[in-house]
Amino acid sequence: MKFVTQDALRVWLDQLAQEVDLVAPRDVEGHVLYRPVASSAGVLFEYQRPEMSAKDYLFPATEVLLQIEQRGKEMTLEEIVPERKQVLFGLRPCDAHGAAVIDALFLQQEPVDAAYRRQRERTTMVGLACPRMWEGCFCTSVGGAPDAADHLDLLLREVDGGYAVQVVTEKGAALLAGLELQEKKGEPPPSQADGEIVPVAPPQAWRTLFEDEMWQRHGERCLSCRICTYVCPACRCFDVVDRVTSVQPGLTCSERIRVWDACTSTNYRRAAGGHNSRPTKPGRIRNRFFCKFCYYPEDFGPLGCVGCGRCIVSCPVDIDITEVMRGVAERSDG
Amino acid sequence: MSGNGSNPMRPFIGRLAGIRDVATGIRLFQVEMAETEGQAAAAGYRPGQFAFLSAFGAGEAPFGLASGRGPYLEFAVSALGHVTHTLHGLEVGDPVGVRGPLGNWFPMEEIKGRNVVILGGGIGGAPLRPVIHTILDNRDDYGHLTILWAARSPDLLVFTDEFDEWRAAPDTEFHVTVDRGDENWSGNVGLITQLLEQVAPQIDNTVTITCGPPIMIHFAFLTQQKLGFTPQQMLTTLEARMHCGIGKCGRCNMGEKFVCIDGPVFWQYEIKEFLEGFL
Ligand SMILES: Cc1cc2nc3c(=O)[nH]c(=O)nc-3n(C[C@H](O)[C@H](O)[C@H](O)COP(=O)(O)OP(=O)(O)OC[C@H]3O[C@@H](n4cnc5c(N)ncnc54)[C@H](O)[C@@H]3O)c2cc1C
Ligand code: FES
Repeated sequence: MKFVTQDALRVWLDQLAQEVDLVAPRDVEGHVLYRPVASSAGVLFEYQRPEMSAKDYLFPATEVLLQIEQRGKEMTLEEIVPERKQVLFGLRPCDAHGAAVIDALFLQQEPVDAAYRRQRERTTMVGLACPRMWEGCFCTSVGGAPDAADHLDLLLREVDGGYAVQVVTEKGAALLAGLELQEKKGEPPPSQADGEIVPVAPPQAWRTLFEDEMWQRHGERCLSCRICTYVCPACRCFDVVDRVTSVQPGLTCSERIRVWDACTSTNYRRAAGGHNSRPTKPGRIRNRFFCKFCYYPEDFGPLGCVGCGRCIVSCPVDIDITEVMRGVAERSDG
Repeated sequence: MSGNGSNPMRPFIGRLAGIRDVATGIRLFQVEMAETEGQAAAAGYRPGQFAFLSAFGAGEAPFGLASGRGPYLEFAVSALGHVTHTLHGLEVGDPVGVRGPLGNWFPMEEIKGRNVVILGGGIGGAPLRPVIHTILDNRDDYGHLTILWAARSPDLLVFTDEFDEWRAAPDTEFHVTVDRGDENWSGNVGLITQLLEQVAPQIDNTVTITCGPPIMIHFAFLTQQKLGFTPQQMLTTLEARMHCGIGKCGRCNMGEKFVCIDGPVFWQYEIKEFLEGFL
C-alpha cells in the first residue's frame, strides 16, 4: 500500500492551500463542518460525520448564475466562472456518493447543468474513510460503505503512524505531486461496517403504497422546517431568483441567483392563482421519500439516498427515514 | 434548445417589439430576439411549448407561448405577482430575457384529418391561439373545428379581437361563455362544461384540447368522458410552479413525471397513469 505520515500529509495540505481552494473538516464552535481552510492548521483528522454534507461546494446553497447589467436599454449577461481549482479534503465516502447522485441528473441528463459542471470539473475529492459507522448511518444499506472509494478521486484510511492512500482516478493521481508517499507492506484493515441493514424496497413496491396511511402518520409530525433537505447530500431542488445589487443613473446591476429549495416547504406547489396541488404535509413528505426511493431511481438511475443519516439526527420531530424504509418493505411484502 | 450556448439557464436577450392589453390585467408582449442563437431557437417553436420570460432584476417566470402569425414570440401575461407585475411595467424597446421554447407540443401533425374541439378557459387560452391559427391556416388538413372559449367575466376573455375571424372561418363554430356577465354582456352565462354539453360535439374522429386552470381541466375531462370521449381523444396542458423548465429543479414533478420536460402537453390516458394527481 501507499502510505503517508501525518506530517507529510500536513505539508502537502499546506502546499495545496496555496494553490487551490481547499475545503476540509473543521471545528466551528463545536460543530464539525466542511469549511475553506488556509493551511493544515485546524483541519480535523479525527471526526465523525460533518453536520452538513459537502454539497455546498459543488451545488452552493446560494450561487450567482448570472451577473446582469442594464445600461439604458442595453443588457449584458455574464456567467460566473470560478477560476481556481478546488480540493475537498477529508470527505466522507457518503458525501462523494451524494455528488454522484446529483451527477446522475445534473451531468448525465441532457441538458447538462453548466454551473454544476464547472464546479465539478474544478474539484478533486479526497476522502477519509470513516473507521466505523456513526449514529444514524446506514450507508451499507444503500450501496455505500464507510470506506467506499467508488465516487472519490483519492481515498485515505487511517493506519498505524499515518494514512494508506488509494488512488481512485486520474484526477486523484494528478494531485499527488508534492505528497511524500512511501510503499509499505500489507493492506489497510477494512472499516467496521457493522451497521444494521435497512431494507430498500424497489420502486414498484413504493408505488403500491402511495395511498398508505403511513404518510399521514409521518406527515402529521413534520414541521415543514426543511432541515432534512438542507443536510442531505443528494437533495437537489432549487429556486431561481433575481436581486438588484446596485442602481445608479443609467446603470442597474443585478444578479440571478439559484438557491436551495425544499419540497417539504409549505408553498412548494403553490402556483399562480393560488392553486396548490400538494397542500398537506403528508403529501409533501411522501413526495420527498418517493423522490429518493421511487422517482429518482426510475428517472435517473441511482437511489436519492446515500445513508448518511444526517436527516435522522437533525429532524426536530424524529422523523426517521429508516423507519419509513422498513415500513414500506414490510407492507409491500404482505 | 433552451438557453444560450452551453448554459441552459442563461436566457437569450430579446426586445419588446409590441405590447397591448388583451383582457383586464392581461397584457400581450411581442418579443423580438436580439441574438442569432435566440432567433434560431424561437424559429423552431411549436404550439403548446412554453418559455421563461425574464424581467431582469425581478426574475423569470414560465408562460405558454401565445405567438400569432407575425415574426415575434408572444406572451400573454396575467399580472399576479412580482415578475408578472414588473413585466407589466415595461415599455416597447425594453430588453427582456427568453429561455425556450421548452417542453413538448400539441401533436398537430398526428391529429391531421380529425375534428378538433378546443376548450380555453381564461389565460389558458393563450397557448391555444397558435393551435387555432395552425388549423385555420391549414384548413383542409383538419376536420370540423369547434372552439369553446370561457372566462370568469367578459373583461377577462382573451383575444376578443380575433373572435370575428374565428367565427367566420370555414367549417368552424365558435362559442363563448362567462361565469358571470355584466350589463353589456348578452351572450352565454355559465360554465364551459355546461356549454360543452349544450354544443355536444361529434365524438367520432375527434380530438379535444383543453387548457385552463386545474379545476377546469378536471371538470372538462369529466364532462367529455360523460359525452363519450375516450382518454385517447383528450389532450391538455398542465400548469405547475416551475423554476428551471429543463427537468432539474424538481419543482414541477407529478410523481415521477416532470411537467416541464414530459409535458406540458399530455393525453388524458397519460395523466390517468400519474401516481400523483394534478388537482
Ligand atoms: C407551463 C406554464 C405556462 C404558463 N402560461 C402562462 C401564461 O400564458 N400566461 C400567464 O399569465 N401565466 C402563465 N403561467 C403562470 C405564470 O408562470 C405565473 O403567473 C408566474 O410564474 C407568476 O410569477 P410572479 O413572479 O409574477 O408571481 P409570484 O410573485 O410568484 O406570485 C404568483 C401568485 O402566487 C402567489 N404566491 C406566490 N408565492 C406565494 C407564497 N409563497 N405564498 C403565498 N402566495 C404566493 C402570489 O401572491 C401571486 O398571487 C404559466 C405557468 C406554467 C408553468
Ligand atoms: S421546472 Fe424544474 S424540474 Fe420542471
